[in-house]
Amino acid sequence: MPQDMPPTGGYEPVQYRRNLPVRGFRPAYYLVAVAGICTYGFYKVGKGIREQNELAREKMWSRIHLIPVLQAEEDRDLVRRHWAEKAREKELMGAESKIYNNDRFVRPTYAVTPGETTK
Amino acid sequence: MSARQPRFNQQVLVDTTPLPDSIPKVQEVGASSAPLLSASFFIGARCQAYNDDYMKCKTEANGRGELDCLREGRKVTRCATSVLEDMNKHCLTEFRKHWECLDNNNQQLWQCRKFERPLNKCVFDNLKLEKKIPGAPENEVPVHERKRQIFAQSITTQ
Repeated sequence: MPQDMPPTGGYEPVQYRRNLPVRGFRPAYYLVAVAGICTYGFYKVGKGIREQNELAREKMWSRIHLIPVLQAEEDRDLVRRHWAEKAREKELMGAESKIYNNDRFVRPTYAVTPGETTK
Repeated sequence: MSARQPRFNQQVLVDTTPLPDSIPKVQEVGASSAPLLSASFFIGARCQAYNDDYMKCKTEANGRGELDCLREGRKVTRCATSVLEDMNKHCLTEFRKHWECLDNNNQQLWQCRKFERPLNKCVFDNLKLEKKIPGAPENEVPVHERKRQIFAQSITTQ
Protein backbone atom coordinates (compact mmCIF):
# COMPACT_ATOMS: atom_id res chain seq x y z
CA MET A 1 0.00 0.00 0.00
CA PRO A 2 1.52 3.35 -1.02
CA GLN A 3 1.96 6.04 1.59
CA ASP A 4 -0.42 9.03 1.69
CA MET A 5 1.09 11.99 0.00
CA PRO A 6 0.05 15.69 0.06
CA PRO A 7 -2.45 16.55 -2.60
CA THR A 8 -1.05 17.88 -5.81
CA GLY A 9 -0.45 21.60 -5.52
CA GLY A 10 0.07 21.40 -1.74
CA TYR A 11 -2.31 21.96 1.13
CA GLU A 12 -4.52 25.04 1.34
CA PRO A 13 -3.21 27.69 3.71
CA VAL A 14 -4.45 27.20 7.29
CA GLN A 15 -6.77 30.03 8.33
CA TYR A 16 -5.33 30.96 11.68
CA ARG A 17 -6.79 34.52 11.93
CA ARG A 18 -10.34 35.62 11.79
CA ASN A 19 -11.06 38.30 9.30
CA LEU A 20 -12.95 40.61 11.64
CA PRO A 21 -12.87 44.38 11.14
CA VAL A 22 -10.61 46.27 13.62
CA ARG A 23 -12.69 48.36 16.01
CA GLY A 24 -11.87 51.82 17.36
CA PHE A 25 -8.77 53.95 17.10
CA ARG A 26 -5.17 52.98 17.09
CA PRO A 27 -3.94 52.06 20.58
CA ALA A 28 -1.55 55.02 20.68
CA TYR A 29 -4.49 57.41 20.53
CA TYR A 30 -6.05 55.81 23.59
CA LEU A 31 -2.76 56.15 25.43
CA VAL A 32 -2.56 59.82 24.55
CA ALA A 33 -6.17 60.40 25.60
CA VAL A 34 -5.67 58.75 29.00
CA ALA A 35 -2.49 60.73 29.54
CA GLY A 36 -4.41 63.92 28.74
CA ILE A 37 -7.22 63.14 31.15
CA CYS A 38 -4.73 62.31 33.89
CA THR A 39 -2.80 65.52 33.31
CA TYR A 40 -5.96 67.58 33.59
CA GLY A 41 -6.99 65.72 36.73
CA PHE A 42 -3.65 66.24 38.41
CA TYR A 43 -3.76 69.90 37.46
CA LYS A 44 -7.10 70.23 39.22
CA VAL A 45 -5.86 68.28 42.24
CA GLY A 46 -2.84 70.55 42.44
CA LYS A 47 -5.05 73.62 42.36
CA GLY A 48 -7.21 72.12 45.10
CA ILE A 49 -4.23 71.37 47.30
CA ARG A 50 -2.90 74.90 46.88
CA GLU A 51 -6.27 76.30 47.82
CA GLN A 52 -6.55 73.96 50.79
CA ASN A 53 -3.17 75.16 52.02
CA GLU A 54 -4.35 78.74 51.85
CA LEU A 55 -7.60 77.91 53.64
CA ALA A 56 -5.64 76.14 56.36
CA ARG A 57 -3.42 79.18 56.73
CA GLU A 58 -6.47 81.40 57.02
CA LYS A 59 -8.03 79.18 59.70
CA MET A 60 -4.77 78.95 61.61
CA TRP A 61 -4.31 82.71 61.67
CA SER A 62 -7.89 83.37 62.68
CA ARG A 63 -7.24 81.20 65.73
CA ILE A 64 -3.88 82.76 66.41
CA HIS A 65 -5.59 86.15 66.53
CA LEU A 66 -8.17 84.83 68.97
CA ILE A 67 -5.91 82.94 71.37
CA PRO A 68 -4.91 85.92 73.54
CA VAL A 69 -8.54 86.99 74.01
CA LEU A 70 -9.64 83.54 75.13
CA GLN A 71 -6.55 82.94 77.22
CA ALA A 72 -6.91 86.27 79.02
CA GLU A 73 -10.47 85.46 79.99
CA GLU A 74 -9.53 81.99 81.17
CA ASP A 75 -6.58 83.28 83.17
CA ARG A 76 -8.68 85.92 84.88
CA ASP A 77 -11.15 83.25 85.91
CA LEU A 78 -8.41 80.97 87.19
CA VAL A 79 -6.82 83.75 89.21
CA ARG A 80 -10.20 84.69 90.67
CA ARG A 81 -10.73 81.12 91.83
CA HIS A 82 -7.17 80.89 93.08
CA TRP A 83 -7.49 83.96 95.24
CA ALA A 84 -10.91 82.89 96.47
CA GLU A 85 -9.37 79.57 97.43
CA LYS A 86 -6.56 81.34 99.30
CA ALA A 87 -9.05 83.53 101.15
CA ARG A 88 -11.16 80.52 102.07
CA GLU A 89 -8.10 78.69 103.34
CA LYS A 90 -7.06 81.64 105.43
CA GLU A 91 -10.52 81.90 106.91
CA LEU A 92 -10.68 78.21 107.77
CA MET A 93 -7.09 77.47 108.76
CA GLY A 94 -5.98 80.86 110.01
CA ALA A 95 -2.91 80.86 107.77
CA GLU A 96 -1.97 80.18 104.20
CA SER A 97 0.08 77.08 103.64
CA LYS A 98 2.44 76.75 100.72
CA ILE A 99 1.81 73.52 98.91
CA TYR A 100 4.56 73.69 96.34
CA ASN A 101 8.16 74.62 96.82
CA ASN A 102 8.10 77.30 94.17
CA ASP A 103 5.81 80.17 93.35
CA ARG A 104 4.64 79.08 89.91
CA PHE A 105 0.94 79.15 89.29
CA VAL A 106 -0.40 75.60 89.38
CA ARG A 107 -3.78 74.96 87.92
CA PRO A 108 -5.79 73.26 90.64
CA THR A 109 -6.58 69.60 90.14
CA TYR A 110 -9.58 69.51 92.43
CA ALA A 111 -12.38 71.98 92.85
CA VAL A 112 -14.01 72.65 96.18
CA THR A 113 -17.63 71.62 96.10
CA PRO A 114 -19.79 72.97 98.88
CA GLY A 115 -21.64 70.37 100.89
CA GLU A 116 -24.98 72.09 100.76
CA THR A 117 -26.38 74.56 98.33
CA THR A 118 -25.76 78.03 99.65
CA LYS A 119 -27.03 80.16 96.80
CA MET B 1 -14.53 52.61 106.70
CA SER B 2 -13.94 56.16 107.63
CA ALA B 3 -14.03 57.31 104.05
CA ARG B 4 -15.71 60.59 103.35
CA GLN B 5 -19.10 60.23 101.79
CA PRO B 6 -19.00 61.24 98.14
CA ARG B 7 -20.78 64.41 97.29
CA PHE B 8 -22.38 64.66 93.94
CA ASN B 9 -23.26 68.27 93.67
CA GLN B 10 -23.94 69.27 90.12
CA GLN B 11 -25.44 72.65 90.87
CA VAL B 12 -22.84 74.59 92.82
CA LEU B 13 -19.58 73.74 91.13
CA VAL B 14 -18.90 77.35 90.30
CA ASP B 15 -17.07 79.45 92.82
CA THR B 16 -18.75 82.82 92.43
CA THR B 17 -16.40 84.88 94.56
CA PRO B 18 -15.48 87.97 92.53
CA LEU B 19 -11.97 89.27 92.05
CA PRO B 20 -10.77 91.58 94.84
CA ASP B 21 -11.48 95.28 94.38
CA SER B 22 -7.80 96.08 93.89
CA ILE B 23 -8.08 94.51 90.42
CA PRO B 24 -9.77 96.82 87.92
CA LYS B 25 -12.99 95.39 86.58
CA VAL B 26 -13.27 94.47 82.95
CA GLN B 27 -16.27 93.37 80.98
CA GLU B 28 -15.67 89.96 79.40
CA VAL B 29 -16.07 89.62 75.65
CA GLY B 30 -19.07 87.34 75.88
CA ALA B 31 -19.29 86.55 72.18
CA SER B 32 -19.74 82.99 70.98
CA SER B 33 -17.42 81.28 68.57
CA ALA B 34 -18.98 82.31 65.26
CA PRO B 35 -18.88 86.09 65.84
CA LEU B 36 -15.36 85.74 67.22
CA LEU B 37 -14.27 83.79 64.15
CA SER B 38 -15.94 86.33 61.90
CA ALA B 39 -14.18 89.20 63.67
CA SER B 40 -10.89 87.43 64.30
CA PHE B 41 -8.85 89.07 61.56
CA PHE B 42 -10.07 92.53 62.56
CA ILE B 43 -9.27 91.80 66.19
CA GLY B 44 -5.87 90.70 64.98
CA ALA B 45 -5.45 93.83 62.90
CA ARG B 46 -6.28 96.29 65.67
CA CYS B 47 -5.02 94.42 68.74
CA GLN B 48 -1.81 92.94 67.36
CA ALA B 49 0.36 94.94 69.74
CA TYR B 50 -1.68 94.08 72.83
CA ASN B 51 -1.89 90.42 71.85
CA ASP B 52 1.83 90.12 71.29
CA ASP B 53 2.48 91.97 74.53
CA TYR B 54 0.28 89.58 76.46
CA MET B 55 1.71 86.43 74.94
CA LYS B 56 5.25 87.71 75.47
CA CYS B 57 4.44 88.52 79.09
CA LYS B 58 3.10 85.01 79.60
CA THR B 59 6.14 83.45 78.00
CA GLU B 60 8.55 85.44 80.11
CA ALA B 61 6.62 85.20 83.36
CA ASN B 62 8.26 81.88 84.18
CA GLY B 63 5.10 80.01 85.05
CA ARG B 64 3.43 82.88 86.87
CA GLY B 65 1.81 84.40 83.80
CA GLU B 66 -1.72 83.88 85.10
CA LEU B 67 -1.02 86.05 88.13
CA ASP B 68 1.45 88.54 86.68
CA CYS B 69 -0.08 89.28 83.30
CA LEU B 70 -3.55 90.31 84.44
CA ARG B 71 -2.90 93.89 83.34
CA GLU B 72 -1.92 92.90 79.81
CA GLY B 73 -4.85 90.49 79.73
CA ARG B 74 -7.28 93.29 80.55
CA LYS B 75 -5.86 95.36 77.70
CA VAL B 76 -6.34 92.44 75.31
CA THR B 77 -9.93 91.97 76.38
CA ARG B 78 -10.75 95.68 76.20
CA CYS B 79 -9.25 95.93 72.72
CA ALA B 80 -11.19 92.92 71.44
CA THR B 81 -14.38 94.29 72.97
CA SER B 82 -13.79 97.63 71.28
CA VAL B 83 -13.45 95.95 67.89
CA LEU B 84 -16.68 94.01 68.39
CA GLU B 85 -18.48 97.13 69.57
CA ASP B 86 -17.32 99.13 66.57
CA MET B 87 -18.37 96.36 64.22
CA ASN B 88 -21.75 96.24 65.86
CA LYS B 89 -22.08 99.98 65.55
CA HIS B 90 -21.07 100.35 61.90
CA CYS B 91 -21.54 97.00 60.18
CA LEU B 92 -24.18 95.22 62.19
CA THR B 93 -26.16 93.73 59.29
CA GLU B 94 -23.13 92.48 57.36
CA PHE B 95 -21.53 91.14 60.53
CA ARG B 96 -24.66 89.32 61.59
CA LYS B 97 -25.21 87.82 58.15
CA HIS B 98 -21.67 86.53 58.05
CA TRP B 99 -21.56 84.94 61.47
CA GLU B 100 -24.97 83.39 61.05
CA CYS B 101 -23.73 81.87 57.83
CA LEU B 102 -20.67 80.56 59.68
CA ASP B 103 -22.92 79.09 62.33
CA ASN B 104 -24.96 77.32 59.68
CA ASN B 105 -21.94 76.03 57.78
CA ASN B 106 -19.87 74.35 60.44
CA GLN B 107 -17.74 77.49 60.81
CA GLN B 108 -16.10 76.94 57.46
CA LEU B 109 -14.99 80.31 56.19
CA TRP B 110 -14.97 79.29 52.53
CA GLN B 111 -18.71 78.59 52.56
CA CYS B 112 -19.52 82.20 53.43
CA ARG B 113 -17.48 84.36 51.07
CA LYS B 114 -20.62 85.94 49.72
CA PHE B 115 -21.28 87.52 53.12
CA GLU B 116 -17.66 88.03 53.96
CA ARG B 117 -16.92 90.36 51.06
CA PRO B 118 -19.41 93.10 52.07
CA LEU B 119 -18.34 92.71 55.70
CA ASN B 120 -14.67 93.19 54.83
CA LYS B 121 -15.52 96.19 52.70
CA CYS B 122 -17.70 97.77 55.37
CA VAL B 123 -15.12 97.23 58.09
CA PHE B 124 -12.38 98.61 55.89
CA ASP B 125 -14.44 101.68 55.01
CA ASN B 126 -15.58 102.45 58.54
CA LEU B 127 -12.93 101.07 60.90
CA LYS B 128 -9.91 101.05 58.56
CA LEU B 129 -9.17 97.46 59.50
CA GLU B 130 -8.09 95.14 56.71
CA LYS B 131 -8.19 91.38 56.66
CA LYS B 132 -4.72 90.20 55.79
CA ILE B 133 -3.43 86.65 56.14
CA PRO B 134 0.24 86.71 57.13
CA GLY B 135 2.51 84.44 55.14
CA ALA B 136 0.20 84.09 52.15
CA PRO B 137 1.96 83.98 48.75
CA GLU B 138 2.41 87.48 47.37
CA ASN B 139 1.80 86.70 43.72
CA GLU B 140 -1.65 85.16 44.16
CA VAL B 141 -5.06 86.56 44.92
CA PRO B 142 -5.64 86.06 48.66
CA VAL B 143 -7.91 83.12 49.28
CA HIS B 144 -10.68 85.23 50.81
CA GLU B 145 -10.87 87.47 47.74
CA ARG B 146 -11.06 84.76 45.08
CA LYS B 147 -14.20 84.74 43.00
CA ARG B 148 -14.55 80.98 42.97
CA GLN B 149 -14.09 78.81 46.03
CA ILE B 150 -13.24 75.28 44.94
CA PHE B 151 -14.37 73.67 48.16
CA ALA B 152 -17.63 75.51 48.67
CA GLN B 153 -20.68 73.29 48.60
CA SER B 154 -22.88 75.56 46.57
CA ILE B 155 -22.14 78.24 44.04
CA THR B 156 -24.91 80.44 45.37
CA THR B 157 -22.89 81.47 48.42
CA GLN B 158 -19.73 82.41 46.56
